[in-house]
Amino acid sequence: MPMLMHKNVFPQMLESTWHVRSVHISAVCLKNRAARIRISKGDRPLTYEQTYHPHHIGHLKGWLSQHTGNLHGEDGAAQFIIEDVFVRRFIFGTFCGCLADELVLKRRGNQLIICAILNRKLATSKIYFLVGYVEELLSHFYKIPVKLELQIVNEKNIYKYV
Amino acid sequence: MAASIYLPMLEYFMYYLYQAVVPRTVKMAEDQDWTAVYPTAASFKPSAVPLPIRMGYPLKGGVSPDKQGNLELIKIPNFLHLTPAAIKKHCEALKPFLTEWPSALDSDEKCTEHFPIQVQTKDFVSSGASLRNPNARIVTMKVPLSSLNLDDHARKKIIKLAKERYCEETDTLTLVTDSCPLKQQNYDHAMYLLTVLYHESWKMEAWEEDKAREDMEEYEWQDSPSQRNVVELLERTKGTEERKKDLLSQPEVQEYKDAIVIMKNHGETEENLLRYKEAVKKLYNI
Repeated sequence: MPMLMHKNVFPQMLESTWHVRSVHISAVCLKNRAARIRISKGDRPLTYEQTYHPHHIGHLKGWLSQHTGNLHGEDGAAQFIIEDVFVRRFIFGTFCGCLADELVLKRRGNQLIICAILNRKLATSKIYFLVGYVEELLSHFYKIPVKLELQIVNEKNIYKYV
Repeated sequence: MAASIYLPMLEYFMYYLYQAVVPRTVKMAEDQDWTAVYPTAASFKPSAVPLPIRMGYPLKGGVSPDKQGNLELIKIPNFLHLTPAAIKKHCEALKPFLTEWPSALDSDEKCTEHFPIQVQTKDFVSSGASLRNPNARIVTMKVPLSSLNLDDHARKKIIKLAKERYCEETDTLTLVTDSCPLKQQNYDHAMYLLTVLYHESWKMEAWEEDKAREDMEEYEWQDSPSQRNVVELLERTKGTEERKKDLLSQPEVQEYKDAIVIMKNHGETEENLLRYKEAVKKLYNI
């Protein structure tokens, strides 16, 4: 027996290490918990967007983000998703507490149009400044014309209480 | 121009209560210029669209949610900027750049007669920062061979050269070019290919003299085993006094020849087989 294979030198090499059963773990999808607000006491207000769950998209809800990336023979879907995620977080932080509902992002040609519904938390002059700031920064960041279309509501549209 | 104004009292009261600006819908005249309200594509603005629209699935015993702050109405694409009045304005703006259709080309047949070459290209529009789409370089050129000046040899040769690019039913030669990066280059390449095919098909190479019966595209009855068999048969039945030419000019032989040629060139169908049967019966005088 060669020196290296002697059982006193490397005892574990004689055990068959390639026949070990292992556990494979993949990321959990949680399809049945995504974008769902669980029912509680009955005092929690929900908007239309929050009430209906992702499987209602196409039936009772529309799409929050529109682009040509998912059409046959077109590419860019992944890039648009990454951009959308960033833009949503960015606007959420910029207009902190002022957003009444989710953003709707529309891509028309090379433009990005962000449709937002704001409440009356901020003064009008401050809103104008933030609109200019957002449009300027995102246009320079993504190298495309970015436009913000706002709608101001007095209070959030409550659809249902859960 | 006095016109009735849409005045929803509750809305007016609510806006007064919140000391907000009165919505534009309240101040709109019925005969206003709508193209000024929506000059370009824009998302739905409930304060600028004087329609009592509701959108969304209603709760039990309820109604669809109102248009104010309605995300569903913002999500969908609207065509408020493309009313007939707006389209008329677009057409008027485009008119200076257009020329009249030539009056001599008033039917499809005349167009194909004077312009037989048909070129198809695709342009792509998509969202994103880049205009470029590599599929836009592909050029498809279609030419009917009847419009080209080809004699019998040239026609057979061009069909042999084109292989599957020639369609028999429509008699069109289709050339699809995508080997160059630009559309203009592919178009020039297609025109060059057509020119080369045409000139090459007229040339008679030395080795083309060796074309044998197996290379023929169509079945030829002249000097075929079938013709030899018929001649032999008739010689045996009618005697060797009549010459080959007289034998071949008989109507039964012509009928047999037609039946055989059609069957070989166009395949065996019911009527072809019937015709062949009749021809053979006549030959044998049954």
